Amino acid sequence: MPKDPARIAPESSQFVSAASLRVRLDWFNKLRWVAAAGALIAIFLAYVVASYSLPLTPLLTMVLVLVGLNTGYVLRNYWTPPQDISEEIKVVKLQMFGDLLVLTALISLTGGVENPLHFLYVIHVIIASLLFKGGEIFQIAWLAIILFTAEALGEYLGWLPHFHSPSVSEAAHELPYLLVTLASFWLVLLFSAYIGSRIMRHNRTIKDELVARQMELVVADKAKMDFFRFVTHEVKSPISTAQSAVETALELGGSRMNDSVEDMLSRAVGRLEQATGMVRDLADLTRGGVVKQEHLRTIDLSAVLARIVANHEDIASRRGQRIRLEIPEDGLELTTIRSMIEKVISNLISNAVRYNKDEGMVSVRLKDLGKRVRLEVEDEGIGIAADDTERIFDEFYRSQEAIEMTNLGTGLGLPIVKKFVTDLEGFLSLQSTLGQGTKFTVTLPKHGIGRERKAAK
Amino acid sequence: MSRKTILVIDDDIDLVEIIRVTLENEGHEVIDAQNGKRGMVLAREKSPDLILLDVMMSQVDEGFQVAYELKGDQATQDIPILMLTAVADQTGFDFDPAKDKDFLPVSEFLEKPISPRKLVDMVRKHLPAGI
Repeated sequence: MPKDPARIAPESSQFVSAASLRVRLDWFNKLRWVAAAGALIAIFLAYVVASYSLPLTPLLTMVLVLVGLNTGYVLRNYWTPPQDISEEIKVVKLQMFGDLLVLTALISLTGGVENPLHFLYVIHVIIASLLFKGGEIFQIAWLAIILFTAEALGEYLGWLPHFHSPSVSEAAHELPYLLVTLASFWLVLLFSAYIGSRIMRHNRTIKDELVARQMELVVADKAKMDFFRFVTHEVKSPISTAQSAVETALELGGSRMNDSVEDMLSRAVGRLEQATGMVRDLADLTRGGVVKQEHLRTIDLSAVLARIVANHEDIASRRGQRIRLEIPEDGLELTTIRSMIEKVISNLISNAVRYNKDEGMVSVRLKDLGKRVRLEVEDEGIGIAADDTERIFDEFYRSQEAIEMTNLGTGLGLPIVKKFVTDLEGFLSLQSTLGQGTKFTVTLPKHGIGRERKAAK
Repeated sequence: MSRKTILVIDDDIDLVEIIRVTLENEGHEVIDAQNGKRGMVLAREKSPDLILLDVMMSQVDEGFQVAYELKGDQATQDIPILMLTAVADQTGFDFDPAKDKDFLPVSEFLEKPISPRKLVDMVRKHLPAGI
């Protein structure tokens, strides 16, 4: 028989999935080992420590029966894992029935209704409410009630032998005591079943709702990305052709052009460049597909970093800023997608320069962490308010401070950084103090995608 | 530089006109085709000195197909090709023209928007010398 538990029909009303059934069965079996051990300890304490006279042989026999049953269950789970959930529910019910029989025998051998340990039946009802839905929980409760009542009445009527519990006065044949004990027992068990089924039903509803909500979010996110991709696709050609046209007009006009016409056309080029930049960012952000190992190349990250820093030095020096670069002297190789890592670095550095204070310092540090690399980009600029630390990764969101500082920036730079770092299986974090500066930290796996994960398995 | 014939294969007629103005200003003759099929016919008939080829026309990778066809035909295999790519043409991580040009038989990739100066420079660089 196939041993694949995933073959269980997932639509069972009892269990969310085959996997969760498997987990619960394992848990149930482990619990039974604990119960057997607990029974042994209780017998030891009562017999050796408290020196009660107990019918040792039948008691130990019952514990052995429990151990034997559980061994059978574990072996069965191993050799023929559950294939059909409704079938499995019946098996679990049978197991619970066996447990209740063993418990009743143990209680019967140690005083019956006189033994305060009869509250252990409640635990079975609670376990049932973890494993089953409403109906089955009550079935277990009624079964416990019938067994315990039968045991107590059997002793009272003399049909079953009574083993007097030495810790209490003789009570098994006192009718008022018997009736009150049984009544409260019934009440506690039924109430436990009721509460258990209510709580579990509520839990399952919440869980279902969460899963449904999660799915909605995934669908909504995909719709948003599809929309962006469509818009990007539709606007890119007209904008880029318009930009070429205006640039060509400027070129053709040359020195013959009226100054104000040239000024207007230059402004148009500037704005069109802004628009193409935004289209490019949107294209990056909505880029589909997944990163695969075969698309990766090994690059010297130190060299890439140095080049990108050099590209930003001019614009930084215009505002009296300096960029300090700390990279490993011998270079640092990284297996990655070059275009993506370049985008991450240049977005972080251009943000640091853009939102830095005049004369401020931008520190770029690259560190080898063995299996990973860590890149830090730190500025002394406007900082990010605590409330904004999540939102700045939303598309088009710009903080109030950023808006007040400059109208450059599309609000797409950081979302792209986040997406690319995530796609490359890295981590992105930020520390910031408003008015004092921001530090972004990126860590990336050195040897590409999926390898570390595979190695971990 | 002597007068050369340059074939532009692109379905954006405005862009074709922009390229025409710029290159005619340089003294070249510009012929154009709006799709790959017509482009192939013109390439064989007129034997242009250089071809400007758009990647995305009616099909996403039409330009690539044309490039392979041009390189596979003895009559056209020596003509340098400048490939025009638009922002966001890459639909996934699988294709990255700037990095993968070794695998494509073209001389250069030009990302749109193309500035006239850059266009003239690139055409000069790749036009066969002499004659």
